[in-house]
Amino acid sequence: MIWIDGVLVSEGKGGVYGEKMLRNCRIWDPYRSKLAAYYHKGCGHELRKDDVVLYLGAANGTTVSHVADYTECVYAVEFAPRPMQDLLAVAAKRKNIVPIMADASRPEWYAPLLEPVDLLYMDVADPDQIGIASRNSVFLKQSGIALLMLKTRSIDVRSDPGDVLAESIARLEESDFVIQETMWLLPYHQDHAAILCAKK
Amino acid sequence: MQSYWFGDIDGEGCHPFVGSPADQAARLESIDTDMAAYIPVAWEDAVRCGFAKDRGDYLQKLRNLCFFIAEAKIADHFTSRDIELVQMVRMLDELDDVINLLTERAVEWYRTKNPSFSRKYRSLSGRRVIQVMKKERDRAFAEIIADIEKLQESRTRLMRDVTALADTVIPNCSALIGGLVAARLVSRAGSLEELSRLPGSSIQVLGAQSALFSHMRTGSPSPKHGIIFQHRRVHNADRDVRGRVARVLAAKLGIAARIDYFRQEIDQDFLNASQEAVDRAGEGT
Repeated sequence: MIWIDGVLVSEGKGGVYGEKMLRNCRIWDPYRSKLAAYYHKGCGHELRKDDVVLYLGAANGTTVSHVADYTECVYAVEFAPRPMQDLLAVAAKRKNIVPIMADASRPEWYAPLLEPVDLLYMDVADPDQIGIASRNSVFLKQSGIALLMLKTRSIDVRSDPGDVLAESIARLEESDFVIQETMWLLPYHQDHAAILCAKK
Repeated sequence: MQSYWFGDIDGEGCHPFVGSPADQAARLESIDTDMAAYIPVAWEDAVRCGFAKDRGDYLQKLRNLCFFIAEAKIADHFTSRDIELVQMVRMLDELDDVINLLTERAVEWYRTKNPSFSRKYRSLSGRRVIQVMKKERDRAFAEIIADIEKLQESRTRLMRDVTALADTVIPNCSALIGGLVAARLVSRAGSLEELSRLPGSSIQVLGAQSALFSHMRTGSPSPKHGIIFQHRRVHNADRDVRGRVARVLAAKLGIAARIDYFRQEIDQDFLNASQEAVDRAGEGT
């Protein structure tokens, strides 16, 4: 990852969503992006130049644009029409983003489009986030890594976020994943945890 | 055999699919992938079978297809007419807020110019007070008043449009409670599809969320009505039967929304029976 004086940046053409620039690099704000927050917390898994990424829950494409700066190709899956319009605008300018309008919980629909990926990144607001992750693990290379941004409040608002995390970890280990690292994204994001896991 | 977006691959080799993005999209819809036997695309296969020249070309072609699909889906989503209806209702409600806000502020300003002016004990509606203030000479003030008047005109026109559109998009709901209130229900539910999936009891308290949640949290009396209170048969009903009218009306609205969503036509028999049931509920014990 590229740091300039403690500021996380990515190399690419600026002016995507009004992000600030620093020495010709785009500043990647940890308060806006969970992935940036994850790196600011000092985490290990870095994006590589030749990575192919499957990004579930691409939303407006702000984080996607930074991921695309770092990697070879991003398959960005988003379901809702409004954010998809923004995502298309971002993808029109970045040739390594493949925008897929589909429901991440039904991978069989977009399976004919996908190649094996090095990183499965997931930021979806769905109570069945873990189920979606395990259904999409089929796209991961054997050496691949999955990085889940767990929205504990989307899974269950009434439970304690810590309990939700513990339960999610248990469910992940039951399916195709081995947990490598978990952490809360405080102070950048409330009740969000990052779970890094490898394929079994 | 594995079917991919660019063609099929089986024991004999690769059979590329030739066609426009529209043809590719249609074919993709028809592919039924068996996830148990699924192998992700190896982009080299697309090059080997002559579909793409290289990695860059492969991605470009894939992107073309994905853009085509996404744009078609977005267009499809926005052409369903209840989506526009929702936006129109929200604009209408926003206009009401803005007009009231501006009028109130203008009155405050007007009072400093006319110390003897008071609205308090005269029945001056928003519209009438604008007519009074129009006589003021101050240039900037007069311009603002004219703008408020113009907003009121737009609001009236928009309301007519909302009612007319509601009559065609949600004819059964509109016949039961009037186009405007029916459109507000759709707006609060999010879309006609979502409204049609709601039970009558939810429709009854749509728009009374805060009362509903305080009821569930603290056990205060449950709300009898939300948006449907705006309908005359609910707010004109006697206090002791108002809850019953609201409940019967909401139950019928639930059915009406389903007819509107799935059948998209007016059902006169259903409407007659429903109107009668609602009227009976309001007749007292």
